[in-house]
Amino acid sequence: MSFLALDKWARLFRIIKQNGGIFKTTYKLWRFDTLKEGTFVGSDMFGNKYYENNFYFFGRNRWVEYHPRFAWEYDATHVTADWYGWLHNKTDNRPCEDCAKYYMNCNEYVNNWLMPFSENLTGTEKAYYPWSTVNHHICVWDGCAMCNRQPKK
Amino acid sequence: MSLAKIFSVSSRVRASGASSLVVRHAQYSTPAQEGKTEKVYPPTAPGFKYVNAEDPNMTMKALTDRAAQTLFWTELARGFAVTLAHIFKEPATINYPFEKGPLSPRFRGEHALRRYPSGEERCIACKLCEAICPAQAITIEAEERKDGSRRTTRYDIDMTKCIYCGFCQEACPVDAIVEGPNFEFSTETHEELLYNKEKLLSNGDKWESEIASNIRADHLYR
Repeated sequence: MSFLALDKWARLFRIIKQNGGIFKTTYKLWRFDTLKEGTFVGSDMFGNKYYENNFYFFGRNRWVEYHPRFAWEYDATHVTADWYGWLHNKTDNRPCEDCAKYYMNCNEYVNNWLMPFSENLTGTEKAYYPWSTVNHHICVWDGCAMCNRQPKK
Repeated sequence: MSLAKIFSVSSRVRASGASSLVVRHAQYSTPAQEGKTEKVYPPTAPGFKYVNAEDPNMTMKALTDRAAQTLFWTELARGFAVTLAHIFKEPATINYPFEKGPLSPRFRGEHALRRYPSGEERCIACKLCEAICPAQAITIEAEERKDGSRRTTRYDIDMTKCIYCGFCQEACPVDAIVEGPNFEFSTETHEELLYNKEKLLSNGDKWESEIASNIRADHLYR
C-alpha cells in the first residue's frame, strides 16, 4: 500500500469525499488554497467551522473554514473571541468546555454589556476614528490683547 | 594551457580565492621546525570535520566526472527533481488566515479596558499605568462622577507609541487595563490607532470571554 504511495491517493479521494465531491472540493481549494481532512469541532457566531486533525504538524493541526457568505472577503479577524484561544492552541477546551467562559456566561448581567464580536473594521465606514471624550476645559488665546478684550455680557 | 587546467577552473561552484586561502592556512606548519611531527592538513583527527573549501580532486577520473556533470547539465536535472519532490511534500508554512500559529495566554496584544460582571467599569483613574508607561503612550484625566465615584473622563492610548511591554496591566490594581490577545488590529490610517476610552472599553466588551480565559489560565502565577 505505502510502497506505491497508494495511501496518498486514498487520502486524496477521502478528502474529496469529505469535502463533498469534485466541484465543492475545487471551490474549497480555490478559496482556501489547501485541501485537508479533519474532524469538525464546532462553529462560531459567524458560522465559521473549526476543524482539527493532528495528522498535520502543530500549527496546521487546527484550522477554520470561513462561512461561504464571506466568499473571498474572509478576514483573519472573523475568528471570534470565543474560538480565538482554541485556534491559537492556547487551550484544548472548546468554548463550551472552558470554565472561565462558562462562569462568565453564568452571570446574568454580563449579557447587558457584552458586545457581539466584530471584525477589524478599518477601511470601512464603520471604522473607529478618535474623538475627545472630555469637554474642552482649556481656553485658547483668541488673539486679542487683554486691554482690547470686550467683557463678556 | 593544459586540459586539466581548463576543467579545474570551470568545474564546480567554488568560492573565489578559496584555494589561496587554503594555502595561507596551511603555512602554519613550516618544515623549518625540526623534531616535531609534521601536521597533516586538512586535519583528519576523528571528531573534527573540516568545513572550509578544499582543493578539488585532480585525478583524471574526477576531472572527467566534473566535466561530464557540466556538459550534460545533470545538476539542472537533479535540481528539477528536488523541486518536483517538494511539490508533493507537506509544506513547512502555515496557511495563515485559516491556520494560526500558537500563542501564549500571556500574549500582549491590543489593549482593552475591562468591566466588572455588573457592567461597572473597573478603572478608578489611579494613573499608575500612566506613570509606569515607558513610552508615555497613556493619557488619563479623571473627574468625580455624578454618583461620587472617581472615574476617568479621558483614557487615551497612542497605540503607535506603545511598545507592548505589559507594564500597564502589571501596574493596574484592579485588572482594568489589560493587553488582550488580539494582534490583528492593523489599520489603514495612523489616526485610527489613537484609541480613546470608548474604543478601549468596547475592545474589552468584545474580547472579555478570551481575556477572562487568559487570566484564568495564568491564575496560579498572579
